Amino acid sequence: MKQHLSPPARGLIACAAVVLVAIVADAALHDLLAQNPFGAPRPTQAAEPEASGIVGWLLAKQSEFYRQMSSTIRAAKSDGSAVWTLLFISFAYGIFHAAGPGHGKAVIASYLVANRETARRGIALSFASALMQSLVAILIVGISAWVLNATAKTMCRAEGAVEIASYALIAAFGLRLVWVKGGAFIRALQTTQPVPAIAGVPHVHHHHEIHDHHDHDHHHHDHHGHDHAHAHHHHGHDHVLDEHCGHSHGPTPSELAGPGGWRRGFAAILTVGIRPCSGAILVLVFALAQGLFWAGVAATFLMGLGTAITVAAIAVVAVSAKDIAARFSAGRDGGGALFMRGIEFGAAGVVLLFGVGLLFGYIAAERTTCF
Amino acid sequence: MGMRALFGWLLAVGLTLASGAAQAHPHVWITATSELLYAADGSVTGVRHAWTFDDMFSAYAVQGLESKTKGAYTREELGPLAQTNVESLKEYAYFTFAKADGKKERFQEPIDYFLDYKDTVLTLHFTLPLKNPVKPRQLVLEVFDRSFFIDFQMAKDNPVKLVGAPGGCQMKLDRPSDGSATAQKLNEQTFLNGENSNFGMMFANKITVDCP
Repeated sequence: MKQHLSPPARGLIACAAVVLVAIVADAALHDLLAQNPFGAPRPTQAAEPEASGIVGWLLAKQSEFYRQMSSTIRAAKSDGSAVWTLLFISFAYGIFHAAGPGHGKAVIASYLVANRETARRGIALSFASALMQSLVAILIVGISAWVLNATAKTMCRAEGAVEIASYALIAAFGLRLVWVKGGAFIRALQTTQPVPAIAGVPHVHHHHEIHDHHDHDHHHHDHHGHDHAHAHHHHGHDHVLDEHCGHSHGPTPSELAGPGGWRRGFAAILTVGIRPCSGAILVLVFALAQGLFWAGVAATFLMGLGTAITVAAIAVVAVSAKDIAARFSAGRDGGGALFMRGIEFGAAGVVLLFGVGLLFGYIAAERTTCF
Repeated sequence: MGMRALFGWLLAVGLTLASGAAQAHPHVWITATSELLYAADGSVTGVRHAWTFDDMFSAYAVQGLESKTKGAYTREELGPLAQTNVESLKEYAYFTFAKADGKKERFQEPIDYFLDYKDTVLTLHFTLPLKNPVKPRQLVLEVFDRSFFIDFQMAKDNPVKLVGAPGGCQMKLDRPSDGSATAQKLNEQTFLNGENSNFGMMFANKITVDCP
């Protein structure tokens, strides 16, 4: 960053950043579009990243496990020990299934990056959202198929409604993040001009940036975290979603379990967890048809556990990548902080775009089994 | 902030790609047989499919349906479901793509559709008439789901039948082999030519009929 940027120049930079975020996100969207079953075939498509040998293998494994589920549930009718096999298969399926990433993982990863969450919180969020996903699947099938004996068509409609709600939630969540992170980014832009590094400058924005600066210099977050929480009160930000540096030193378990700890992550859990996996719904209905609903429930939970492990791994990678970026950008000038705010803003933008894209059918999510 | 910016954007791109890439994992398996229908003058008029669903999806599909005999469903009892199926399939172009001498051909809405339920699995039968019957030297018919939510496999025995085809027509079926080997091989090609690199296409069943 050059010194003494004129307001128009700042505006330009802001615009350029927004455009860049849009381009990056757009590329991602187009990637997703490749799987869109709707509309005419699109022959001009860049090489697909997922078609690599590893993903091919993941797909093959996943199909293998999934296909074994139905025969294992059948076997469990007469042979109780088959249930153990079922549980193992479900768990393995969950792990592999989540490795082929869906929007849930994208939203969690982006949320963690946008909110400077710790890996630990990332893991907790992954498990909580996977658990919720399992519960939603069980509730949908339990109520509609088991209690009401609804048809697949009705269940499908319920699934569809939940799906739209979940996309709207992602969009709202993303909008909220963009709002908050956009504000932080713009403030970072305004404060990138060098200012004297005086602690306790009445101007809150400066406070903010200087501390951040410090933080990266020293490669630890402790001291800065608390200070920051104070700065926040001055900002008057919403603390539910805008989890700034308050916890960048890693929450203690009590903090995580505390009311504030869960409440902050709840939006993310709800957003990701409300949409059940089609696979779980199919397994549950199938188990119900075999008179072994409980086996389906157990399988669903194990699937969720497997999924959580993979998602947690992805979350840790996302958080670590961001930490590395923070170190890279640390130090030299205010641009480092600006850069980090930019990444956070970008991640927030990705959540929003995912939500909007899913909501308007621009992105084909995993289809529900309606036909 | 040149290097840093570059690194940052690479990170952002990596993240979005990593998190947004593959939605593809089949949840429904279909074993298909297809008949190509020919008119007396040797032109192709349409395709008749019989798609057998896997037992998990079949159980899902018949959930909550009324039937006189428990665990058995007549064609009539399955009528509304068959109706829903063909209506929903329209959105996906019936997963059936035809090319006559390289030119895309379109299908009309399905006719003669019904479901039957046998050995706990459902089979959907339906006929797709071509909008305009064609008489090409080469007809290519592909059956696949681009999003790979459905895994189509042509049946082991008699997967494709030519009904009333002129003598001398040769049929060839290219299956997507089940493993990732094909995917990998195709991927190298698709990397090279950039075009027609379409994920679901790697799982396409390609029927080629050459007529003299």
